[in-house]
Amino acid sequence: MRRRILTTTAIAAVIALALSACAPSSSSNDTGSGDDVTLKVWSWRTEDIEAYNRIFDIFEEQNPGITVEFEAFQNTEYNQILTTGLAGSDGPDVPMVRAYGQLQPNIEAGQLEPIDGKVDGLDAIAPSVIAGAQGKADGKTYAVPLATQTLQMFYNKAIFKEQGLSVPTTWDEFISVNDKLNAADITPMALGAKDDWMLPIFADIVGSARYGGSEFEAKMLAGTTDFNDPDYVASLQIISDLEKYMTPDVVGVSYTDSQIQFTSGQAAQFPGGSFEIGTFRTQAPDLDFGSYQVPLPPQAVSDTPVSPGFSDGNFAINSASTNKDAAFTLLNWLATAEFGQLVADELNQFSAIPGVTYGDAVMQEAWTNYEAGQAPYLLLVDFRYGEPLGTAVLGTQVQRMFLGDTDAAGAAATLQEGISQWFTPGE
Amino acid sequence: MTTTTLRPRRGPTRTGIQLSRRTGMVFVLPALLLFVVFIAYPLFTALSYSFFGWTGINRGEFVWFDNYVTLFTKLPYRDDIPNAFFHNILLFAGAMVFQNTIGLTLASLLHRRKRFKRFFQTMITMPYLVSPLVIGYLWSLMLSPLFGPVNATLRAVGLGDAAQPWLGNPSTAIWVVVFVTAWQWVGFPVLLYGAALGGIPEEINEAASLDGATAWQRFYTITFPMLVPAIGTVSVLTFIGAMEAFPIPYALGGSMGNPAGATDVLSLLFYRTAFESGSSNAIGTSSAIATLLFLFIFGVAMFITWFMRRAERKIF
Repeated sequence: MRRRILTTTAIAAVIALALSACAPSSSSNDTGSGDDVTLKVWSWRTEDIEAYNRIFDIFEEQNPGITVEFEAFQNTEYNQILTTGLAGSDGPDVPMVRAYGQLQPNIEAGQLEPIDGKVDGLDAIAPSVIAGAQGKADGKTYAVPLATQTLQMFYNKAIFKEQGLSVPTTWDEFISVNDKLNAADITPMALGAKDDWMLPIFADIVGSARYGGSEFEAKMLAGTTDFNDPDYVASLQIISDLEKYMTPDVVGVSYTDSQIQFTSGQAAQFPGGSFEIGTFRTQAPDLDFGSYQVPLPPQAVSDTPVSPGFSDGNFAINSASTNKDAAFTLLNWLATAEFGQLVADELNQFSAIPGVTYGDAVMQEAWTNYEAGQAPYLLLVDFRYGEPLGTAVLGTQVQRMFLGDTDAAGAAATLQEGISQWFTPGE
Repeated sequence: MTTTTLRPRRGPTRTGIQLSRRTGMVFVLPALLLFVVFIAYPLFTALSYSFFGWTGINRGEFVWFDNYVTLFTKLPYRDDIPNAFFHNILLFAGAMVFQNTIGLTLASLLHRRKRFKRFFQTMITMPYLVSPLVIGYLWSLMLSPLFGPVNATLRAVGLGDAAQPWLGNPSTAIWVVVFVTAWQWVGFPVLLYGAALGGIPEEINEAASLDGATAWQRFYTITFPMLVPAIGTVSVLTFIGAMEAFPIPYALGGSMGNPAGATDVLSLLFYRTAFESGSSNAIGTSSAIATLLFLFIFGVAMFITWFMRRAERKIF
């Protein structure tokens, strides 16, 4: 009998955990009113806490009476923490929020304050970047974009010099660089294909110019083409063609492994986002690296090589905040070139605000390339507004391509089938 | 003890203390209260959530079974659910075959030992005390095809052909999850079976050996039947563990069950639906997954318990 009770209790207890993960948690009340206002700012950048404190010190000096309390949470837990925080009453006044599709649930739930007309300087921000801070349904702006990420090929300058290689400017040169590296027993490209999210990034770095970047985006949104377009399929075919320039069984290589491959000099190139620059600097302070845009593949639709880019993170105002005036003061400051320059200098990120210069040579190089030829990181910018997410579908499909379970046409067809479940062109 | 017994119970209980039903309720109340607040309420809340449409955290209309229909008709669920469910079943089968038989073997070996018994029990149970996430990450480092010591060791001893991208190959990845889970949890059946073995009276075995029974005969006709209750408990808990597996698959394959969904399980699907999908109806869909998972686990666990109890009755 006792055993039955034990077993039943164990069953009930263990199962209840799974369900209770769904339930909301309530939080205590606190009212922070007084002469001086304290603004709670939340972020997922735990690595930037000190930098943000220095940045907000400058803001506090200029705005006496407003104190900024910066709190950062684990990136992977942040969505959950923020959702709970915004639902309760002790949430942040100014939360850092995700961009594009991942921002929509917060907007649709009415948790964020529209900022159109109340924050200056939004007009100067690039349309594809400000789109990351807008509601898909109502077109209103809800946040100030913080940073832009660009996608490009990083290369190890020391290895290139040693092997007598130079940055390729044509597709043939690109292939020959990789062949020579292979012949010298150096892995040409480090790719963490075990982590699916890396793969759509890689696909756009090598393939965006082939399918036509922004031009293709416009046609997709208008509904005059879809992912079965021969140009898009051909761009995915490039991924298969390049597989021989990666570690064998690349699907077993994790993202962090691939970073180590590059920073330790085992691999000569790393297709990745500008967010890697800071990581590379920390992991390998002596690493001499630069970046380039992958040259135009044969039959490319675009005229110039491109760096795909996207907005990464925004600052918004909690609609339940009791300190909205102070919050708007802060947001206005976050949209100034002064803050933009601090983003560059203190956070080592590309600011969304125009007119910022970069002291870091690698960043300046990547930014100059981006300004010369840009494209949207298509699946993130336009195809994460419904389920299944475009990035998730393509990530798995590219893994299957590497494993030999599907081909470029099959992967493109699955992507099209997935997104057409929620995407209606022209809306 | 009680003077005003309203409805006296049938005779004195084992302890000789008589309690009225009302007094009994008072003692049950605190536990009942905790159970209702922390278990029953969230459980039914989640159940109710699954019948509504959601916009972020705002509850919308009552939608009957729409969320459940979504799970079986819409992408990615209609592909992911059978795939993840199959892997949960594999985890259960794998745990029953490896973890529990190895556990029983170790427990039997340790049972007769006088010296070092505690030492070995502690060593075997040790991984059980470390967070499964930590263990998962440690193994993912060990199995890395580039820097992992496992492949390096295989190559060093001339077994280079056996070196694999263990976590990158869909046909080995799920078995790595089974292996790592077994590595961590094997101490659990060892302890339970050890206790059960200790409860079998020595005289029966002695009498059997005097009658000329071989060691295998003694195990098969005496020890094994007497272990059935313990086997039942271990099976049920293994089943629940396998169905709810999360930290180890998450550490080894990430929330998408990489590579290409080869290590996907239902809890990962629940997690990414609830917290990573960005879907405004995430609460509705994920509650539906949680409810189905609960009903399945509850139903099957009850069935196993019933089945084992019947088997016990036949034996004793």
